[in-house]
Amino acid sequence: MDAFPILLSFQVSLAATVLTLALGLPLAWVLARRRFPGHDVVEAAVVLPLVLPPTVLGYYLLVVIGARGPVGRLLDGLGIELAFTWRAAVLAACIGSIALLVKAAQAGFEAVDRRLEQAARTLGRSEWNIFWSVTLPLSWRAVFAGTVLAFCRALGDFGITLMVAGSIPGLTQTMPLAIYDYVQANQMREANLLSLVAVMTALLFLLGLGRLARLRF
Amino acid sequence: MLQLAVRKQLPGFTLDVAWEAGDEVVALFGASGAGKTLTLQCLAGLERPDRGRILVNGTVFFDDGTGTNVPSRRRRLGYVFQGYALFPHLSVADNVGYGLHDCSREERQRRTAEMLERLGLTGLADRRPRELSGGQQQRVALGRALAVDPELLLLDEPLSALDAPLRRQLRTELMGVLREWGNATVLVTHDLAEAFQLADRIVIYDGGRIVQAAPKSELLSRPASEQVARLLGVRNILRGTVLKATPEIIELSWRGYVLEAINSPIRTYLPLPGTEVAFFIRPEYVRLIRKDRPVDPGHHMNRMEGAVVREVDQGTNWTLLVTLDHAGTPAQGDHDLEIEVPKLVYEMLEIARDRRWAVSMHRGSIQVLPAA
Amino acid sequence: MVKAFVLCVFTLAAAVGPAVAQSKQPALTVYGAADLTVAFREIAALFEKGTGSKVVLVLGSTGNLAKQIEHGAPADIFFAANATFVDDLQAKGAVIPETRQLYAQGRIVLAVPRDGKLSIPRLEDLRRPEVRRIAIANPGHAPYGRAAQQALQAAGVWDALKPRLVYGENVRHALQFIETGAVDAGIVARSVADTPAVRHVPIDPALHAPLNQIAAVVKRSARPELALAFLQFVNGPEGRPIMKRYGFLLPGDF
Repeated sequence: MDAFPILLSFQVSLAATVLTLALGLPLAWVLARRRFPGHDVVEAAVVLPLVLPPTVLGYYLLVVIGARGPVGRLLDGLGIELAFTWRAAVLAACIGSIALLVKAAQAGFEAVDRRLEQAARTLGRSEWNIFWSVTLPLSWRAVFAGTVLAFCRALGDFGITLMVAGSIPGLTQTMPLAIYDYVQANQMREANLLSLVAVMTALLFLLGLGRLARLRF
Repeated sequence: MLQLAVRKQLPGFTLDVAWEAGDEVVALFGASGAGKTLTLQCLAGLERPDRGRILVNGTVFFDDGTGTNVPSRRRRLGYVFQGYALFPHLSVADNVGYGLHDCSREERQRRTAEMLERLGLTGLADRRPRELSGGQQQRVALGRALAVDPELLLLDEPLSALDAPLRRQLRTELMGVLREWGNATVLVTHDLAEAFQLADRIVIYDGGRIVQAAPKSELLSRPASEQVARLLGVRNILRGTVLKATPEIIELSWRGYVLEAINSPIRTYLPLPGTEVAFFIRPEYVRLIRKDRPVDPGHHMNRMEGAVVREVDQGTNWTLLVTLDHAGTPAQGDHDLEIEVPKLVYEMLEIARDRRWAVSMHRGSIQVLPAA
Repeated sequence: MVKAFVLCVFTLAAAVGPAVAQSKQPALTVYGAADLTVAFREIAALFEKGTGSKVVLVLGSTGNLAKQIEHGAPADIFFAANATFVDDLQAKGAVIPETRQLYAQGRIVLAVPRDGKLSIPRLEDLRRPEVRRIAIANPGHAPYGRAAQQALQAAGVWDALKPRLVYGENVRHALQFIETGAVDAGIVARSVADTPAVRHVPIDPALHAPLNQIAAVVKRSARPELALAFLQFVNGPEGRPIMKRYGFLLPGDF
């Protein structure tokens, strides 16, 4: 059995989690703290990836970032390959998991007493500074829980990754795709072993992090 | 020096106020929902007025005409929030030093230590807010606001979270801090005693508008209207008809009696005979006429007779509700007058047993209110 | 504790770093229909030994793979389970028309779980009441599913059996239903049916349109010659016996 899918899955999920945090935290903050026209629409759109069948989502994503899609052509012009590379797997995992982080973080931010932020404002701090010194320290458990869930969801993504990154062994075949392939090829011993690895890592991860933050999932 | 004129429309509520103050303590007094806190938030830049102008010590904070709106963080205000809004994840010292982030580390530590010392919090520097008593939390909030050396101090119900005995003690303490600080302070309160003890000037809010703004010394003796009198909790507010008005005396007809009251020296016009006016007499200024003494007509002006229909034990005083003998509907529901007598008097005169009394009101005690 | 954990995560990330960095693509990437899964593993191994070039197999539903190739998947050659998807890619200019070639004709079999109570020799027997669930590949997009539908229709049992049908995503998926005993019978490709858990009997090829499996070299391929060589290998003396062993009918044999 090849260890590549395990390593790739971890790297992809880590990168996806970083990307998810970078995009998801500002989005969650805006949703929690600002009212604007279309607020509800954005809020619903964030959750859409959880509702849509992953392969459908993956197909439309492929249409956009593929060699014939608008984003794909733009990136191609810049010499960047996205579709069917590990970067596409990162994007897929991010899209599949960002709702979990945004929802958790948004709830966390909303639970922070707004007067604390107002107090910080009257004490001369900028919004950016307030986020790091007041909002995040008071909501980190929720953000952390959301991050862990997003990481786990990224680790387990199948449908979106299959469509936009393919299941290319040694290149984009992540752990879930490899397991599926083994099952398809009737290599049940390998499939079982890899599944065991996936389950154990996920369990260790959740237990370790849960202990760390005294969280329950 | 503080000048403020703001108008802000919210769903179902409009704030439209203008007032000014010098380097003194101004109390914004009124029922909850009157717009006091919203005014503070406009002052602090946490809410944006629709129209108006806010000027503090010569700096324009807000002016819709020029589009000026200085952000909160640049207004240099000390804001003590209702319930204090201390940062629960920071120690007392870090709370107090939170506004000093632009200073060097040494400077911040020095000023924080100074402030803790001044407020008697030195031993609590490493505690978290939740480990403090209500009074200590209040001092930390005050310290956090004053540490930045603000242009203006804003206090939103600073004592309302505390129990009554502690509140009285801290009111005195707070007064000491405010006097020492000596700059302009705006205090929001719905507690009249608090407003009177802490403020130099009182602005009375009602339904998003100002009904009177005056130095506190003027306020109780000369409420601007019946509405103000009611907001100030004045009892025995009554309505009578003018019989005669001269610059010295106003004669009123009320419940079949003719009452004589001294006219206010600052009244600029005389009410016409036949008009209805409001007047009040403080319950403690209504006198019971003792039956064991000879009647002295000169002393007992505005004499009336009636019976005690209800009484309330107030601890050191008794409140008697008296209905006059005349037929017709009593002026205040089931009674005409509230009378307050010290407990000693209540016992001496055996009021519990003897219910029929003649009363009198000195003409100087009857305050005729300006027409609304 | 926190530090230890963070350290762990980053060590892990660092360990993975090289894995992705070195994963350029020196190998020949072959996209193939799911019914080729078993046969192509053998052929690819043989090809690697013969030529020294590594082969990466990406096997799945023909329709899905075709979509990915259309949108720029890094395939060098595409072995479809029928002709229409290759026709479609050809119309879109995604494959090289000159390389288009028939490489096999598929056959379908009627399969039952080995430990099942039923031994079913003929399609008509599927009507028996104890056959409660029947698996086929989705006739909407899987060529073998379409052939299964045609065969059932020709045998005159389609309408009666329709409520009992279970659709697999592709032919391997349908086979899994049978292998696990989740269904009582099913129709799958001959090429994948040789597994220990399954017993199968051939279905008369006259009952369905021929399953002509077409391959073509992908236009974006950086090594079209190698891709063509692989195609010829499959159709040549080394590949043919293997394909035959898994029940494919080969060009020239029919």
